[in-house]
Amino acid sequence: MKKYYLFLMIICVYSSYAQKEIKQKANNTWKENIKEVVVTGQINPQSVKKSVYEVKVINRKTIENLAANNLADVLNQSLNINIIPNTSTGKSSVNLFGLDGQYFKILIDNIPMVNDEGMGNMADLTQINLDDVERIEIVEGAMGVEYGANAVSGIINIITKKTTKKNWEIIPFIQEESIGNEYNLSNQGRHIQSIKIGKNINEKWYTNAVFTRNDFNGFLNEQKGKNHPFNDGLRGHEWLPKLQNNLKALVNYRGKVNAFYKFEYFNEDVNRYSREVRTNFNSATQTSNPSASDEYFFSERMIHHLNLNGKFHKKTHFNISLSYQQQVRDIEQFTYRILPQERINVERTEFESRKVFFTRGTLNDFIKLSNINIQSGYELNLIDGFSSPMSNPLSGDQVNRSLNSYDVFTTAEVKATDRLSFRPGARLMLTNKFNPLLAASFTTKYIFKNGLEVRGILGRAPRTPNYDELYTFFVDSNHDVRGNEALQPEIGTSSFLHLKKKFWFNDYNSSWQTKLSSWYIDVKDRIELTVTNNTPLQFQYNNIDLFRTWGIENSHQIQHHNFGFNLGISLRGISQVLDSSNFNDDFLYTIQANANLTYKIPKWKTNLALYYKYNGPQYQFIQEQNEAGETEFRRGKLNPFSWFDASIRKSFLNQNLDVSLGARNLLDVTRVNTTAAEGGAHSEAASNLLLGYGRSFFLRIQYNLNF
Amino acid sequence: MKNYFNYLCIFLLVLSLNSCTDDDSQTTTTNFVVAFEQPSIQLSNETNSNTIDLVFSEPAPQEGMITIQTESSNATYNQDFATIPEAVNGNLEISFEAGDEAASFQLEQLSEIIEGEEKSITFSITAVSIPETVFSGNTNLVVNLFESAALGGNLAPEVGGPNQPNQVYIDLSSQQETVIQRDAWDLAFYSGNTNRVVLNYSTQMAVGKTDFYNISEVNESNVAQLIPQISIGNFNPANMEYIDHPSGDLGQTAMDVVSENNEENPVYILNLGNEVGNSTPQLGSVDVDGEAKGLIKIRVLQNNEAYILQYADVNETDYTEIEINKSQGFNYTFFNFEQASTVIIEPEKNKWDINFTVFTNEIMGAGSYMFTDFVLTNRQAEVMAYQVLTSEVNYEEFNLTNIDESNFELDQRSIGSNWRQGGGPGQAPSLREDRFFIIKDTDGNYYKLRFTALVSEIGERGNPAFEYSLVE
Repeated sequence: MKKYYLFLMIICVYSSYAQKEIKQKANNTWKENIKEVVVTGQINPQSVKKSVYEVKVINRKTIENLAANNLADVLNQSLNINIIPNTSTGKSSVNLFGLDGQYFKILIDNIPMVNDEGMGNMADLTQINLDDVERIEIVEGAMGVEYGANAVSGIINIITKKTTKKNWEIIPFIQEESIGNEYNLSNQGRHIQSIKIGKNINEKWYTNAVFTRNDFNGFLNEQKGKNHPFNDGLRGHEWLPKLQNNLKALVNYRGKVNAFYKFEYFNEDVNRYSREVRTNFNSATQTSNPSASDEYFFSERMIHHLNLNGKFHKKTHFNISLSYQQQVRDIEQFTYRILPQERINVERTEFESRKVFFTRGTLNDFIKLSNINIQSGYELNLIDGFSSPMSNPLSGDQVNRSLNSYDVFTTAEVKATDRLSFRPGARLMLTNKFNPLLAASFTTKYIFKNGLEVRGILGRAPRTPNYDELYTFFVDSNHDVRGNEALQPEIGTSSFLHLKKKFWFNDYNSSWQTKLSSWYIDVKDRIELTVTNNTPLQFQYNNIDLFRTWGIENSHQIQHHNFGFNLGISLRGISQVLDSSNFNDDFLYTIQANANLTYKIPKWKTNLALYYKYNGPQYQFIQEQNEAGETEFRRGKLNPFSWFDASIRKSFLNQNLDVSLGARNLLDVTRVNTTAAEGGAHSEAASNLLLGYGRSFFLRIQYNLNF
Repeated sequence: MKNYFNYLCIFLLVLSLNSCTDDDSQTTTTNFVVAFEQPSIQLSNETNSNTIDLVFSEPAPQEGMITIQTESSNATYNQDFATIPEAVNGNLEISFEAGDEAASFQLEQLSEIIEGEEKSITFSITAVSIPETVFSGNTNLVVNLFESAALGGNLAPEVGGPNQPNQVYIDLSSQQETVIQRDAWDLAFYSGNTNRVVLNYSTQMAVGKTDFYNISEVNESNVAQLIPQISIGNFNPANMEYIDHPSGDLGQTAMDVVSENNEENPVYILNLGNEVGNSTPQLGSVDVDGEAKGLIKIRVLQNNEAYILQYADVNETDYTEIEINKSQGFNYTFFNFEQASTVIIEPEKNKWDINFTVFTNEIMGAGSYMFTDFVLTNRQAEVMAYQVLTSEVNYEEFNLTNIDESNFELDQRSIGSNWRQGGGPGQAPSLREDRFFIIKDTDGNYYKLRFTALVSEIGERGNPAFEYSLVE
């Protein structure tokens, strides 16, 4: 019944406009603004071409083509990035160049964003909503000077929309999605409702608010949900359900001094139903009253961000951000009696949290030099962290920890000639926990006469140890595994070389841009669990290993009238020197390729988009014991898999109504076989890895009410 | 105007979706069952008044009445036995309140049990005044007023929760349960024909032989190499030599057989293991090992039929000497260093079949490893067992014709930890419901036994339960 109701509503929306004439008028919005301005790593916002860093941009159109609601929906199509969903926590983390989310920082409007495990790093991509986002900027490589600790493999800077040309802008949308082949209106599929209201109060003041509710009902696959009463491993979900609410508000002021205040409130409920069912067989009555130990996770995030920027003394730019952010994840553990569907023994406690005061200020152009632009700044991170014993099965005690860092940095852009520019930079990081650290970078850009752009980028950034590495304590008569509070940050160094050239044809109606990039990244003093004593056997985390990766990437962007075509291929190798154990440091290589095709049909106000990414086989050395009891190395393999998404987007009613219809994961990827997983003392190695929830379809209906 | 109409439409659409996300709750109705807790019991001359327990499958939905019929064989009401409440025309009526989960009545034994007289009473549940009642499980209870093997039973050994503080010895045929704190003893001196000393396998003890034959000569510096080796766990395959062979084979104890020639009896360094843990771990986990008790040195000699135990702190030159006699009818004589005396631990040799305990087992290739929720069979009294998978024959159908004598194993670990999944960090162990065990007890009875719980209903460890039944 409810299904029919939905369709009735849709028809009602359509039919009310059916008779209205659609006036054809030349529409400028179809022409994309070719000049993309970026801010990431820049002293002043400038075009991609002028940037000394190589900034990849994912624009609003791509976000819409993919009907991406959060960051996890969009990044899978990017080269060198893999999204790794964790089926037991419901989180999705990023893996860039083979380094996990600890080495990668996520920023919103140029400042790091808190999550329950870190500040900028360790982010759960599904918790980062994109509804008010204008574009996403990605810079690969260490960005320690600009963004401090943990910006080792790269950063993502999410830039939100802060203006509109309209007086009022009211944009509600709904998005209905299947999850694999599971969909209904009550407890399957994904249901998103959102409304955005923007208002230009006058020339100086703009304000907006966005509310989004994302009801992701999880993926059952073979599983049978929470009320399955048998202990056959089929209870619960393959992919955990979660419900998210996100409210964001912005006040923007433009004047001599620009200012904005942003507020965000986010909450999320993740339900984890145990696969293990206790039958509780009563022999006397020969009946059973099955129960299970289940967990709900409740996350709550709050962000305040105040930014002031402008000029004084006519020339000197200043930019100050002040932010308080916190994210708290609670856990509610309970016993669920399956037949009467009742919860008993409910206990709710704090699971993990981070509370952060952050401020950064920069000054530039304060020295008058025609070809040198110096920027100096400070950054303060006061992070209060909490971690309960439940968050680390190998830890006995809760952790309360303050990590304060006080950084100063300076960087200079030197225009040696019109074609050649340099940018050296350095940052000194003083913390209350570690030895003073230094991040440094050196960037060179040269533009040849024929338009070939060459960029060479060296960067260095530390990665701070996580709580497991610092505070694990698992000592009993069988085991001895300890964290190490004396750990120092790992040091990541990256070097990139980019060659880029754009060709124009057809009176600037067609273009072809090609880029060749190569890189080398190493992480020294890598923290690894090592054997510190053989009799009795004791393990401790230590700074001893080395991680190296290098790679090469070639990409092409072709624009021809209404066609857009991108193609990229990358080859990368990873080598690990494991001083913690015997090792094999051969480089193991993997290939990724992506392609996307977009086609605009202006007459029909229709956009077609296809996105494809191939992930080649990924290898990893696995340590095993052979039959003779000797340790051997085997090259484990994660089978290749591909992501293929497609969508069609059409505007109706003078572009007041946008409807998108699309499919994600058309190749139906779910579990991918692997021999690259290592088994533990108590568990067999996993033979497959859950990466997707299968082919799914979405319908998105957005209404733009502007006046 | 139309603009607003459309907006309204969309807004309604949004609301309509919001309202659909509640779970479609539908509670499954369950049946109400009343049953006797045990299928059979045996009366003795030691107590005259016995409580007969009835259990419910779920809290009673309303108040009601249970009608129980009494039939006796060679026994007479008011002469050999009586009940409270009193039986009227052979029928007992027991009332219960809404929410009750159990009920009971009293059975008074009025005449002495005399050998050779096979008196018995059978109680049967004939009616329960609640409409949803289903008859299932132990609807009958046989009470024997003569000595006979129990037909079966349901037991929840008192292992004691997540610290697993207890060893629980169980005699299946008499339904007797003996609970002792597992660190109440340190060494067990064999009472049989050979002279062997066994370590407490539940407190992480280990023992290493020195090259010395005079206890006063041993100190930390002259056994410094040996001391760090004497421990369990930590994945060291070589550490098996410091514990008794976990099969229970007395020919493979860590300490050599005690020689008649006392010159040949060496000094040992004994790791006393750990106290019982006392912290409350996270739900689903155990904490069994508390404070370490440290090291001492010991030497065991023989004096006619008795053992002589010498012991001292490792660096002491003075030592304590105590004579320990064998205990007739028991497997071992137990000794506790803290009390400096022998203690009574196990029931008599032929009065226990299985023992719930923490246990130092072997993981092949990884050396000794401490196991919780372990079940030992009484090897010294030749209790044997084997495992049957329900894929071969199910528990209910298993009968005497299914017994295969050649499957019985003497190894005291033939039940061991086979009844549960291992678990590991982040994953709790769980009950294996695909198997049961056949046990040949000290009296030669065959019982089938299946485990029904590893943890409590809310998941607390150290709360096992099992049911068993005489194989006929």
